[in-house]
Amino acid sequence: MMERLIRDASKASPAIDFDPVSGVLRMQGESYPENTFEFFRPIMAWLRDYLAQAAAPVSMELELSYLNTGSIKCLMDMFDLLDAHHQEGKAARIVWRYHANNPRALETAEEFAEDLSLPFLIEQHP
Amino acid sequence: MLTDLWDFRQQLEEAQILICFNGPLSQSIIEEIGAAVKKYLETEMPGHGKLLDVFSVYIEQTQNIRNYSRRKAAGQGELPPYNGITLLIGRQGENYVVASGNIIDKGDIPPLRAALDHLRGLDAAALKALYKEQRRKPHDEHDAHAGAGLGLIDMARKTCQPLEYRLRDIDAGHAFFNLIAVI
Repeated sequence: MMERLIRDASKASPAIDFDPVSGVLRMQGESYPENTFEFFRPIMAWLRDYLAQAAAPVSMELELSYLNTGSIKCLMDMFDLLDAHHQEGKAARIVWRYHANNPRALETAEEFAEDLSLPFLIEQHP
Repeated sequence: MLTDLWDFRQQLEEAQILICFNGPLSQSIIEEIGAAVKKYLETEMPGHGKLLDVFSVYIEQTQNIRNYSRRKAAGQGELPPYNGITLLIGRQGENYVVASGNIIDKGDIPPLRAALDHLRGLDAAALKALYKEQRRKPHDEHDAHAGAGLGLIDMARKTCQPLEYRLRDIDAGHAFFNLIAVI
């Protein structure tokens, strides 16, 4: 069994909680860490390993209020992995939550959803 | 030495500069100034998309410079001239301006100029298409302009007029690159 992936949030990096048992992969906060690609490399590796053996439905649940362009690229790569999983006939979805006072987080979600085929749910927080 | 700070302050205020920074850049400085920018703009225009755009353009400009200086330092120890930034965030009528300046190698000018001139000629739909294309390009840390690609496109999408830039010769090998984004 894979180990649960947990990272605490910092000012410039999101809290991460990827639970291999429930299949719920959460990220929350702002993302503009120094050297963004190095930050996401182990997270991407975890996801790749997990999807190779995941039997249960996978749900990536995100609440990201700001992403720098490096984080956008890393997220795109993660979403493409989930999309490929979905195209293999396995259950995968993305849930994107945003606050009503953050129109850019909504636009970012919509622009991701346009380029993906898996279920991409966009939900507004009060 | 410039020590009459009252004169300096008045110049900044007349030019409606909200934040001015000159010195070496670090991730913690990026975070601190970013927090100040956000706090200030939230009191001026809570929940406004423009606030988020000013913050975002600020992050892209400063992290581009930080990444550039890190690539230049790779394998050669820290090279101080590349890590310095001159940053101004100010108001211009209804808009905000985020301007940054840093020292670059002259050899890096042609691709930078080509990228910016190309972006300056694109409309919103073309910028969106290019953004989506660049978003899926593999990351190459050895490419001197990697990362800057999507960052510049993202900035161009958030500005209300084409990204402006100036290049000034400083010596045989270096130039000062000044990028101006109006949001």
